[in-house]
Amino acid sequence: MATRLVAGELVKLTTTRLWLWLLAAAMALTALYAGLNIAFTDDPENFAPHMSTPEGQRLLFATAATPATTFAAVLAAVGVTGEFRHRTATATFLFTPHRWRVIAAKLAVYGVVGAAYSAACLVVVAAIGVPWLAGKGIEFSLAGGGLPGVMAGVIVTGAVFGLLGVAVGALLRDQVATVVGLLVYRFVAEPIVTSIPALETWTVYLPGVAASGLAGSVLENRSFLQPGQAALVLAGYVAVAVAAGVILTKRRDVL
Amino acid sequence: MTAGRIVVSGLTKTFGPVQAVDGLSFVVEPGTVTGFLGPNGAGKTTTLRMLVGLIAPDAGTATIGGRRYSDLPAPGDTVGAALDTTGFHPARTGRNHLRVYCTVNGYAPCRADEVLDLVGLTDAATRPVKGYSLGMRQRLTLAMALLGDPPVVVLDEPVNGLDPEGIVWIRGLLRDLADQGRTVFVSSHLLWEAQQLVEHVVIINRGRLVAQGDLIELSSSFGSLEQAYFALTEGVV
Repeated sequence: MATRLVAGELVKLTTTRLWLWLLAAAMALTALYAGLNIAFTDDPENFAPHMSTPEGQRLLFATAATPATTFAAVLAAVGVTGEFRHRTATATFLFTPHRWRVIAAKLAVYGVVGAAYSAACLVVVAAIGVPWLAGKGIEFSLAGGGLPGVMAGVIVTGAVFGLLGVAVGALLRDQVATVVGLLVYRFVAEPIVTSIPALETWTVYLPGVAASGLAGSVLENRSFLQPGQAALVLAGYVAVAVAAGVILTKRRDVL
Repeated sequence: MTAGRIVVSGLTKTFGPVQAVDGLSFVVEPGTVTGFLGPNGAGKTTTLRMLVGLIAPDAGTATIGGRRYSDLPAPGDTVGAALDTTGFHPARTGRNHLRVYCTVNGYAPCRADEVLDLVGLTDAATRPVKGYSLGMRQRLTLAMALLGDPPVVVLDEPVNGLDPEGIVWIRGLLRDLADQGRTVFVSSHLLWEAQQLVEHVVIINRGRLVAQGDLIELSSSFGSLEQAYFALTEGVV
């Protein structure tokens, strides 16, 4: 039963092309972020640690987190809100009247897809960073300098944002509002509030900033939660959002 | 045979200030085509959606073979509902749309091709649904309903958008389904069409039952189905 529902969600995902376009967008944005990090590493006013240090290399790989998590969350949210936008929710809930099972199947699928988005973006960072830095005379091992921990963190945050995307989509149901909301939040609202030093005590707990903490981000002018704390905070967001999404999905009429 | 009997009892639903369905009770027996008639806004769609658990009633129950829809062990194998001709992702092909629900229900993928053939959509199977006409969407909706070969079939306005050939075809199909002993419950606001299609009728108006019974008996006591309908629904169309 559960595996059939998960398989059905995979058929839904793979019979349209959106996952591919959003993956391409995440990888392109990762390439841009990684390129800028390397290009400006010798700039004396750069707040990021130099790419010749293990801290710098960890930050480089952590940059994959924002594009991967954002687009994974958007894909997941579209996977839920699309059921209402295209009115396929009727058929979906006809065949699976216990609606929480549909949400659970979507969580399973988009959690894994989010992790896969992160993994793909990490490959982009490695493909750009390793040869470019080698050209600058900086040699490093992907297995050393704390990099495996950063990569694991980035992959976990991808999964977390896949789950959050499902939950937020189930809460809001309106596709345009959800997608625009997620993009504006990640690319506009969060960067603005986190740039205000007076608010830093609180902004470290925001989902995207906590994700950066989990991925092991380091900046001289900013603080982040420790990975362990960040994981707890994110688990809390997921638990609350999923619970609210499931309750509302069960209660609302499908007209 | 009660396995496929639909029993609606005291069903009530209010949307804000609108009393959509008001203490509605009726029974639909297997082996017949039963028409669910009433003016636009009478509460037909709301009733059908409450029957299959998509809308939660404020009061009352609806059961199929004695069970509420959400209590059916395998709803897709028991009830086929064609409720929404717009319920498709525009970029997904007709076959892929059916394959999703074959997978969910554990049917072989070839079942999708069987029902596409049954509703005459084989040639359009690999085209995205955005290129389908209303009649083709109607057929695909019907294919969804027949996917699990269910003993109970519920259809909301299945004739809308079909051409004359399609109307004759669906008439024969519903007749066949009923002759196989299935319960066929079909809503319509087209009286002329209903008269050709159904043996029993459930007529509602403003969310309330106004008549139920044998089409011929009802028609003869008022002169015709049309006269019966207008007499019973107070001329509200």
